[in-house]
Amino acid sequence: MEFLRRALNPWGEDVPIGVSWDLIWAAVIIGAVFVVVHALMVPKKVGTGEVDPDEAAGLPEKLQRHKPGARGFHWSMSATMFALLITAFFPVIGIQFPWVTIHWIAGVLLIVTVIYHIYHVFAKQDFWTMWIDRRDIEEGKQGLKAALGKADADRPRAGKYPVDQKMFHHVAMVATLGAVVTGVLMMFRIDNFLWAERTYMFSDATWGWIYVIHGICGIGLIFLVIAHVYFAIRPEKRWMTWSMINGWIDRDRYLQNHDPARWTVPEAGTQAAEAEGD
Amino acid sequence: MAERTIGTDISPPDLHAKITGRARYAEDFHAEGMAFAKLLLSPMPHARVRSVDTSRAEAMEGVLGILRASELPRPEQGTREGALSDEPLYEGAPILAVAAVDETTAAAAVEAIRVDLEPLPFVLDPLDSLRESGPNARLDGNVPGEDGPTSLKWPGSVFDEAGSDRLPMGEPTAEWAIGDVDAAFAEADVIVEETIVHQSVTHHPMEPRSCMAYWQNGKLFLHGSTQSTERTRGPVAAMAGVDVEDVVMIGEYCGGGFGSKIAGVPIMAVPAVLSRKIGRPVMLRITRYEENYIGRARAGFQGWARIGFRSDGRMTALDLYLVQDSGAYGASDLFTAATVATASYQPENMRFRGVPVYTNTPPRSAQRAPGGAQIVAMLEPVVDKAARELDIDRLEIRRVNAPGHDGWLGPNQGAFTSAYVREALDLGGELFEWDARSQLSGRREGTKVTGVGLGLSPFTAGSSGRDGLLVIRPDGKLYVHQGIGNLGTHSIADTARAASDVLDLDWDDVVVVWGDTSKHLPYSTVQAGSQTAHAHTRANHAAGEAMVGLLQELAAGELGGSPQDYRVADGRVFRAGNRATGLSFAQAARRAIARGGKFSGGEIPEDLNDVTKGAVAGLAGEGLIAAAKDNYGQPGAVFTWVATFAQVELDIETGEVEIVDLASATDCGTVIHPRSLAAQTNGGVFQGIGMAKSQRWVFDPKWGIPFTKRFYTARPPGILDVPLRPRFAAVNEPDPHTPVGAKGIGEPPVGAGEAAYVCAVADAMGGMCLCRTPLTSDMILAELEGRPRPYGLLDTHV
Amino acid sequence: MAVIRDMIPPFELYQPAGVDDAVRLMDEHGSEGWVLAGGLDTFDWFKDRIKRPAAVIDLGGVEEIRGIAGGTDGGLDIGAMTSLTDVAEHADVQSRYPLLADAAGLVATPQIRNQGTLGGNIVQDTRCWYYRSGWPCYRAGGNICYAATRRSMNREHCIVGADRCVAVNPSDTAPALVALDAEMVVVSTSGERTYPAADFFIGPDIDIERMTVLEPGDLLTRIVLPAPWDGARWYFEKIRDRKSWDFSLVSVASMISVQGGVIQDARIVVNSIAPYPVRMGAVEAAIRGREPSDETGRMAGEIAVEDARALRHNDYKIALTRNLVRRSIRDAA
Repeated sequence: MEFLRRALNPWGEDVPIGVSWDLIWAAVIIGAVFVVVHALMVPKKVGTGEVDPDEAAGLPEKLQRHKPGARGFHWSMSATMFALLITAFFPVIGIQFPWVTIHWIAGVLLIVTVIYHIYHVFAKQDFWTMWIDRRDIEEGKQGLKAALGKADADRPRAGKYPVDQKMFHHVAMVATLGAVVTGVLMMFRIDNFLWAERTYMFSDATWGWIYVIHGICGIGLIFLVIAHVYFAIRPEKRWMTWSMINGWIDRDRYLQNHDPARWTVPEAGTQAAEAEGD
Repeated sequence: MAERTIGTDISPPDLHAKITGRARYAEDFHAEGMAFAKLLLSPMPHARVRSVDTSRAEAMEGVLGILRASELPRPEQGTREGALSDEPLYEGAPILAVAAVDETTAAAAVEAIRVDLEPLPFVLDPLDSLRESGPNARLDGNVPGEDGPTSLKWPGSVFDEAGSDRLPMGEPTAEWAIGDVDAAFAEADVIVEETIVHQSVTHHPMEPRSCMAYWQNGKLFLHGSTQSTERTRGPVAAMAGVDVEDVVMIGEYCGGGFGSKIAGVPIMAVPAVLSRKIGRPVMLRITRYEENYIGRARAGFQGWARIGFRSDGRMTALDLYLVQDSGAYGASDLFTAATVATASYQPENMRFRGVPVYTNTPPRSAQRAPGGAQIVAMLEPVVDKAARELDIDRLEIRRVNAPGHDGWLGPNQGAFTSAYVREALDLGGELFEWDARSQLSGRREGTKVTGVGLGLSPFTAGSSGRDGLLVIRPDGKLYVHQGIGNLGTHSIADTARAASDVLDLDWDDVVVVWGDTSKHLPYSTVQAGSQTAHAHTRANHAAGEAMVGLLQELAAGELGGSPQDYRVADGRVFRAGNRATGLSFAQAARRAIARGGKFSGGEIPEDLNDVTKGAVAGLAGEGLIAAAKDNYGQPGAVFTWVATFAQVELDIETGEVEIVDLASATDCGTVIHPRSLAAQTNGGVFQGIGMAKSQRWVFDPKWGIPFTKRFYTARPPGILDVPLRPRFAAVNEPDPHTPVGAKGIGEPPVGAGEAAYVCAVADAMGGMCLCRTPLTSDMILAELEGRPRPYGLLDTHV
Repeated sequence: MAVIRDMIPPFELYQPAGVDDAVRLMDEHGSEGWVLAGGLDTFDWFKDRIKRPAAVIDLGGVEEIRGIAGGTDGGLDIGAMTSLTDVAEHADVQSRYPLLADAAGLVATPQIRNQGTLGGNIVQDTRCWYYRSGWPCYRAGGNICYAATRRSMNREHCIVGADRCVAVNPSDTAPALVALDAEMVVVSTSGERTYPAADFFIGPDIDIERMTVLEPGDLLTRIVLPAPWDGARWYFEKIRDRKSWDFSLVSVASMISVQGGVIQDARIVVNSIAPYPVRMGAVEAAIRGREPSDETGRMAGEIAVEDARALRHNDYKIALTRNLVRRSIRDAA
């Protein structure tokens, strides 16, 4: 299997023109294998663990985990992501339809969504909630052992976001930003509502690498989306999925999975609680 | 008495072979053990070869050898073009050649070679190169200097002042003047001014320049496509690094050259040297694709003209500026162009300025009326514009300015040998019914608008001082040895008629010997510059007269009396008044062989060229041999003029132009071969129309690569693009300074046809000159519809 | 590796004697196979070594798809391997489908019409010279259209229907067949399918590497013409730089049914302005019920170019399309 698609440019120079489409299937297969292996190896743990009543004291029944804005971002991102992946890869695998317009409009929407998200992360949210620190690494180690059934200790409770979610976020962020940045550059190859084409603003080899990065990110996102969807529907994680729909988690889930020291939820009904939960 | 053959139609001796397919062109030859070569062409418009890895190719079964530029005896140097180059100056320049047992293997081997190229700056548009920040096409400069190329840049202000619709005119590299143009403009009644672009176009001969070579006993035998057989030997010898005596050049048929195959083409070096290297005959079949690159092209101009007229239509001032696209290795069209302009208009005052600029486009060479066709097509519509302003008939304004026998040529204002220009204009005008037709100008029928136009085109048409060589063999026939090539113009046969007419010999008793230098061919002109008909009717006439003298002397020696008592006619030399006392040519040949000495090549006239002397020596003892140099004298430039008249219909909804009638008249001296003359003239007219109407040479400006590499994209005109029966007439007045009276015809029709077309189109557009070639339907329609112009006024390669 | 052109590389030649054998061979070789009809598109690709199939399936011996026969319901059934000369000179085509006879008769040159087939003329690839030069453009699987930049030489390219690629469909017969409501019969190992001519051609938005619905393994076998409209007027015009051996800059084909002095129905198709023959639906709708006059033509022309957008060098195609559509109504006979 070739990793890159290459071609001779008009001057006979060997340049990359994109990533090999075989990698689409590789991503799909790796994703499927991951899902199957994970499903077989990792036991489902639903609703385990006791809740310390002291900790529960003073906490409301429902704690807001995602504000409407954050949920809006997530679902907008997922919609555009699905649109982008479908329009990008279905034609390649033989399901043909006019995809380009949908693809770039979805891309523009994704960019808007991402900009909104970045703005909120820096302006409204605590940027560090997604940061991976030493405790996260420890949590990850224990979690991994627990998942492999080797743990003698329970997995430590997470901050607002469990470490695997944080890792997923960062990988997805890199892939998305990679695809977004290269996608924006690719828009310079066609006349559009913002600017006239500047096809020759880069050398063709540079363009080739831009397409390669776009392709790698896109194909990477296939795998990430498969994994993400898989986890979203796993029984023990459905409460998190629900929280992305309705915005809240119940107190027990909170206390079972989150370390109140690391994710402090103010008391119910305060303005701060809503703001924090964004 | 034998019928005088000059002025009659004959079937040339090569005709049957050509139309039956028996004629063998260069690539039809095969030699024992012949290998095939293929070229590796540069993919970049300008690059340097860093390294070449041929290992994979050399390991392939059937690959016999690889030839690099450094192995050529005459490698590229300065502006001297080599057959192969390690610094390719245009996309498609051959870098190396591979020989293999067959072409399939050779091509596969070329594909297996890895060439590491360093891209270098390149330029397609001369004006881009003249900008301060513009690239040079060559590492050593962009214009020719005294010691090779040098760099010339114009200040930005030159471009700023000119804007986008006027030629920027900075410091020229060439300049001359007659009189005082500025003073003349001050007094002119009408002044017209235009920026005009003439495109570069490739030659596209039907036969690409394939060649096959082999060596025997140190001699190089080369089968090639050439316009000039004998004169090709020297260049081939230089390319192969051998003495001229060691080259046998064979080229009996040439499928068109148009000036691109004048005397050996650089690529001939490849089979010649590769064959020596691998010890086998090598055939290099040039494909249409390759021919597009190495097959030469006409130099294009970006020009500007300002022309002043007196109220009577006399041109009092011509100020001309030409920027020439010289390709990678240079061209001299612009100098000819300025000179030809004087032969059209005899301007009372003139200034010429020009800059030839190197570009990274395929090499230029002469193309049928180099410089001449361009300038005629560029200036004639401007003259029409003045005629309209002066309210003078367009035919009349040309008559007013045309040279007479006392006319002059070029910056030195030399004389012409003859100039029946007004006669040609009048004859053409009558043939075309100009007076009535010009009234149709602007007539609208449906969506079609009629336009009429004419173009007058002068070009060089002769030279002198060549040699003729005749042999009467014991079979009684006259063998006319021709060193000229067989370019398809029939001159191979037609110039031989000068000898047969002097000898009063039936044409059936004449054998033309040509196309193979081992057949002992005399020194000749290069078959270019439309010289042949003039130069070789003279040379063969001189040889014919020498032959008459030898026959008389021989007869007197054999039969008594003095040589003056003898006449020559009908294949006999006989005593005047007594035809029975004489010798047949067969008898004369046998007697000549017996007597030897000057009769049979034993004594050779001193004034002959060494080539002819060698040929005579080679023939010695084979018959009665007469060789003579043309010493008739030539008191001026030999020029031919062609006037072409065109009527067109322009469809204002599509921009399409249909040529409904064409008529041409020429002053080319005595008509030798009426049918061939008409064919030559009409063919040239069509070629000129093609340059204006449909033919293109389009390059991608980003990559410097041409697209018009095949006939269907280059679009030379087809027979359906011209009227079925173009009309033709010749003044048929002999040039008084040449014994047969004939002048050449090959080149002048091109500019005439092209100019007639662009003038007629301008006429159909109400006198609006788009002043550029090609003048395609899209440009016309955009103009008619008031839409954005498809191209900038100064754009080249569109 | 160096590039060399104008030298056909070796391939395996297969010469099936029937459609069944042909599609079986095509299926066997898949994307490594190449269907050869008249060769006029094929050999350019082969000579330039850009398309290098391992197997060439020559339809020269497939007699069952050569020739013209009366179709059902008064139509005509034309085998895809019928030469363009035979199409142009066939008595029935000339008398009943003069539009097609005219279009076929304007292809290239007599020699090419003798050799070229109707099927080949329909399915031929674009002549975009960037693509034909073997450059790695979108259509060739790359990531760029070399023809659509501000510096490109695109006089011959698209004014409508572009989607990254701006190449045009070069066929002369295609617009005529769309105007005639022809149907294309396609056979593969999985059976026979039929497409209306208008749906047979696809744009780069659907598949940037193909001009038609044909996929590897599909063979266009027959072109079925329905019975012609009674007393229909027709018009065909091809604008080109030379009168022979030249592709159209713009061509127009129209069929107009006029009753009682007004247009009942019409087909207006323009080619070489898009990657596919463009059926001008809006024009057809707008002219129904109107007189076939210059005024109607003028209006139609304006509608025809409403969505047109010029590239750097082809603005003239907008005017040309407008004028040809106008003519195709005004001058239809």
